Amino acid sequence: MTTERTETIVHNATKTFKFSFPTCTNEELLFKLEVPVEIPYDGSPRELVQRVINMFHIPVYLEDELNEKLAQFIGDETREFHNSRDAKLLDQLKNSELNVDGIVKQWEKLFKENVVEFAEQKGTSDEEVFAAAYHKLVHSPALDTILQVENSYAKTVSNMMQSRDEDINKLTERQTEEMEEKMRLLNVSTTEEEINETAARQFEAQSVAAARWESQLDALRHTQRAAHRAWLMAALDHYQGQAELATPSNSPLTTFPPEAGELVGSGGLGEPRPQLEESFTIHLGSQLKQTHNIRLVAADMLDLCALNHHDNGAAARLQPALALYSGELTGAVVLCEAGPAGTGDPPQRLLRLAAAATEHHFDDINRQLRHIAEAIRAPAEQRNARRAQQAGGAAGATGSGGGGRGWWGGGRALRPGDVLVTRHSNLDTHVIFHLVVDDSLKADITSRHPAILGLRNILKAACCNDVTTISLPLLLRNEITEVRRVRLRSVGVGGGEAGEACICRAECGGVSQEMTAAWCVRRAELVLKCVKGFVLEAAGGGGAELRTLHAALPPHAPDLFAAVQSLLPSVFRVAGPLRAPRRAAPL
Amino acid sequence: MRDNNEEKFIFAACTYFAKNHPGETCGSNGLPLTPSSISILGRAQRLLTIQHPNLCTYLDIIRGKHERIIVVTEVFGKSLEEWKSKFSFDEVTNIGLQISKAMLFLHKQDIVHRTLADGNILLDGSGRVKLFNYGMYYMTGGGSDVPFPLGLPRYLSPETILNGGGPAADIWTFGIILLELCIGKLWQNLKPGPILRRILTLVHAANPAERIAREHDCFEAYKLVSDHLRNIIEKCLKIYPSERATFEEVVEELSQANVKTVVDVKKPRGLMGCKLQYLYHWWQLTGGDIQAELKKNGLIKNSPPILSMPIAILLDGCTIGGKRGALFDRRIAKYSLDLLKARLSHIPPQDFYPLMHERRRDYDAVALPKIIRERDTEYQFYRLLWFQRLLIGYPYTAQYIRAEAEIDIPPLVRGDVWAALLGVKGDIEEQYERIDKETPTPTDRQIDVDIPRCHQYCWLLCGSAGHRTLKRLLKAWLLTNPQYVYWQGLDSLTAPFLYLNFCNEARAFACLSAFVPKFLHKFFLKDNSAVIKEYLAKFWQMAAFHEPELATHLHEINFVPELFAIPWFLTMFSHVFPLHKIVHLWDALLVEGPALPLFMGVGILRQLKDTLLDSGFNECILLFSDLPEIDIGECVKESIEMCRSSPKSISYRRFTNEPEVKDPMDIVEIPMEVLLSEISPRISMSDFFSLTCQDKCCVVDIRSNLLYEKSCIEGSVNVPYSGVQLGQRDLRALGLNAHRALRHAVTHKNTIVIASAEDETAQLFSDYLVKCNVPRVCILYGGISALQSHVPSLFIVPIKKTGSK
Repeated sequence: MTTERTETIVHNATKTFKFSFPTCTNEELLFKLEVPVEIPYDGSPRELVQRVINMFHIPVYLEDELNEKLAQFIGDETREFHNSRDAKLLDQLKNSELNVDGIVKQWEKLFKENVVEFAEQKGTSDEEVFAAAYHKLVHSPALDTILQVENSYAKTVSNMMQSRDEDINKLTERQTEEMEEKMRLLNVSTTEEEINETAARQFEAQSVAAARWESQLDALRHTQRAAHRAWLMAALDHYQGQAELATPSNSPLTTFPPEAGELVGSGGLGEPRPQLEESFTIHLGSQLKQTHNIRLVAADMLDLCALNHHDNGAAARLQPALALYSGELTGAVVLCEAGPAGTGDPPQRLLRLAAAATEHHFDDINRQLRHIAEAIRAPAEQRNARRAQQAGGAAGATGSGGGGRGWWGGGRALRPGDVLVTRHSNLDTHVIFHLVVDDSLKADITSRHPAILGLRNILKAACCNDVTTISLPLLLRNEITEVRRVRLRSVGVGGGEAGEACICRAECGGVSQEMTAAWCVRRAELVLKCVKGFVLEAAGGGGAELRTLHAALPPHAPDLFAAVQSLLPSVFRVAGPLRAPRRAAPL
Repeated sequence: MRDNNEEKFIFAACTYFAKNHPGETCGSNGLPLTPSSISILGRAQRLLTIQHPNLCTYLDIIRGKHERIIVVTEVFGKSLEEWKSKFSFDEVTNIGLQISKAMLFLHKQDIVHRTLADGNILLDGSGRVKLFNYGMYYMTGGGSDVPFPLGLPRYLSPETILNGGGPAADIWTFGIILLELCIGKLWQNLKPGPILRRILTLVHAANPAERIAREHDCFEAYKLVSDHLRNIIEKCLKIYPSERATFEEVVEELSQANVKTVVDVKKPRGLMGCKLQYLYHWWQLTGGDIQAELKKNGLIKNSPPILSMPIAILLDGCTIGGKRGALFDRRIAKYSLDLLKARLSHIPPQDFYPLMHERRRDYDAVALPKIIRERDTEYQFYRLLWFQRLLIGYPYTAQYIRAEAEIDIPPLVRGDVWAALLGVKGDIEEQYERIDKETPTPTDRQIDVDIPRCHQYCWLLCGSAGHRTLKRLLKAWLLTNPQYVYWQGLDSLTAPFLYLNFCNEARAFACLSAFVPKFLHKFFLKDNSAVIKEYLAKFWQMAAFHEPELATHLHEINFVPELFAIPWFLTMFSHVFPLHKIVHLWDALLVEGPALPLFMGVGILRQLKDTLLDSGFNECILLFSDLPEIDIGECVKESIEMCRSSPKSISYRRFTNEPEVKDPMDIVEIPMEVLLSEISPRISMSDFFSLTCQDKCCVVDIRSNLLYEKSCIEGSVNVPYSGVQLGQRDLRALGLNAHRALRHAVTHKNTIVIASAEDETAQLFSDYLVKCNVPRVCILYGGISALQSHVPSLFIVPIKKTGSK
């Protein structure tokens, strides 16, 4: 948080400039002129004179005199203005009416926190040292080794997770059997109490097993992390001892040597990459054009975040590792519900993805979220209280119901449109923006909807923090994709009128809301148009330029994909193909 | 006495971060708040114009990434902080006098220094003093745009500590500095808190200066200070600002006491005698990198952005966690000119002083594109020196300037050159002063809506300083041109002038006032439909003249210029291109004159030709709704070529500022209805005559062969109109003779002039030729009969070709 300086309260004063001059015919008779002038005056006194002369038809021979007098007047009054204000302050000081201690402390704090000479000397933080070391190493021949090491670590973790899942599944199976047995014998040889007891015991066994595995996993991650860090630092020393390790100033992010090819080749057999995708190069801006890429992908947002761990994930780790400490970060927008106690509630799958490999650089995602929840509580509640008050005031004024108060006054600190930011080194994206949303997104929304405003904040933050690639769910919906898959198949069977046919149906609080293809296209258009504005706006923010935007559409919906595909050129100015000059037609 | 090291550094840079806006990201008008760094940039422009012998010139203000501001200024000598030797009282008096002269100058300009300190007072071996970076308080809006406090604790006046303080606070600081020079550094080992406390307790002292001296056990030393100096110090260190001396008084008193005179240093010759701004510009072109040196000195540190990522962003834009801005570091990085010196070492000394009437040397670079020439150190070196020479002589050198501007204009002096090309002279400041730019008018609303949408990617124009000045310019122009009204686009038209004359409003206004009558005469009338119609018709004719195939296609799909070209011409392209392209476009415009824009329009169409030929009406509309990238260098080159190769009379317009054409040989004016219906332009008889003399035209006589055989223009081809089948778009259908002549004309880029007895047939036949993709077709004004009466010498009786048929 930035410290706010108490601003000097300047009350501008209006002083009256008086001027009199004799009439031509009668020396005794004076024309009197009174002009109010704001002090301090920020315009040009000479211009003011011209206006006065024009307005009051003052003879031009007075121009020089007026110029001189008015400049004098403004000078004197400005000095008087400053001096009297300062004199008052000094008098207060003399009479001990001021809190000298407070004032001095504030200055002290300002100097100490903002100016090098007065700041406490502090070295580079561990985080920064490690960052520099890692960045240097991944841009050195050690890169290959690092990726292999990280990958094998990840594999160990995922193996253990797999055994955990199997173990727990077995346990559950056994328990189900036992329970069924008991249920069968209910009122024969067992009583209800016994069953309740069994249930409790089983629950306990489940939690014990889960906790045991979790602690094992934790221990494993902890060792891995410590070992990896130690090894990296040692490796750095080793390299530096060898020779001066030149860090390439331009990281080979895009042009990686052919060895990578082999890695990719053996990578296979993962989840198949999304089938449907198309890239567009667009130009934004009316006079000065900025160039951006938009990539439409039919894929689940979480698939876009996931690293491919299967078999040999080292290749997949390449890009994220190289860019992690660079100025070209990758981000993703993931929707989440507002959880209890001021936390966001990200999708379980995301948590699993993030847990699938050791986080060597940052806290693991749960800790990050807990930390955020703590930090955000006070400001969010403050904000909610303020909003509730405003809403209450507005409602009072208009005499209408207190709907606003209810919305802002509820128990939850987070509101739709709020964004939590987590950092990751073990996903395909470095930063995840958790955008808090609610059920209102199921209906049609306007560009003033909180989720859209949240998106705007995300894009702005992305630009300010050097996130140059960002993925976002174009329809701003997470869960419909599952339902959609089923429905779409049936549509596919049904045949012909897929265009306007009901694609899916999502239940929300008993009210069914239809999400037709038309709805989807409408939503996509709204989001694209808003994003267009936000990207343009964020470009003036003075950070990195947003280069690539991945827009994720629900997978397995080719019709929708085609519809959005054709929509894009009407929203953005798409770069046309380069044309070879044509020969002039012969006459 | 002077060491070389001191001479080596010419300019210096310091850097800091502007404050981020907390919370709300929108202003009251619903538009995003201007970033603080933009406000700083806007204010600092004025500092760039300040020149005073005791002030270091500001050279550049750079806005870096993430709200970073880099200030580049002149530097010289060493700061008082670095001078370890003690000064004699005479020397102190002299230093004080120079400081106070500088301060008096600043205060007269309404600039408060506030950060005056021993670290930013520079002194060289010969006793000259210059203040360094005196504009911090001014450019940061009194410190409100930066997160750190301005000034050093020991130089703060009591009222400044209490969050007050006006210009008189500078006097206090000045007093402290004089005192330090006399008795040594004050409060040397104290932290800010205790220092501030001590300053505040001074309010109870009757004589603060004495009290300070006693506190430092220097009372004896203080007593030794000459009465005169002590007197001044005490006058400066009065507690109440109203009792303090002003710099006027200080200058007065110090100059009486001053015995030392600063040794006049001879103005260096050669490279070091050039203007500092030029040196800086050339140095940058040679590859001088301001940021690199700052990085080397640790003043720019790059921390990985992922480490400073915020942890949450609330809906109202309030960011939690994340970046702690870097601390403010007062240190500076210094730069030497070695790079530039080495680059220009081979240039003979006489070349630094070009002579006006000497034959100019030709540079190889002239053949290169403009953008490359603008980046060529040596080329810019010669051009700048030469233009400087010419500009000093303006207005007497106006002709030379025009001739040189035809080649190119160095970006650094573009504002001056444009003003010269537009003939701006006289006391423009006073004229501008007389215009009332404040009183509200009914158009203000519209202006306020348009300005925040006008070239906002430009950092100068998107700040509040830019907005305010643009509004004043527009109001002033509307007031001085009561016959005109505000048409949207006037803002874009003004923007390039403001951009080039950001700190010279009066000249921007004078340029605009001279530009409009020359290029956009009557365009801003309340009812400008006739003017626009004529302009577009003429543009369409030029398109048919140079690009018949394209024109035919657009005619056929009914894609008329009214649909896209109005903003082009109403704003002279300033609404459709970014500023860096407009300046190149206008460079040519100002030199070539008012006919050029027509051909520029054709040049743009030509670049899009292939796309347009493949597009239908809807695609065309879409294409022009947001003009694609245009290569401006190419466009300018081609349009100039087209403009120069076209007969002057074919681009004639009636709505211009030029004197009425009287000579019947020159007249081409036809009624508006006729003009609007014609595809090919009319050529005047005198233009026709000169083309004939140069053998650059092919005359097609479309009268009946009976009339033709009686008397015809020498060298003309006869294609009787009655025999032409308009539906058949093949030139071969016109007969072997005509086909050969026309093909010869097309390959040799000759102009094809249609001569006939009546306008109607000429018009139809010219349409036909254009449809056959024949370029450069025009109609002889007045036809055969007029020519016969004015230039009978051109006519002969054709020799009967016997046996040819």
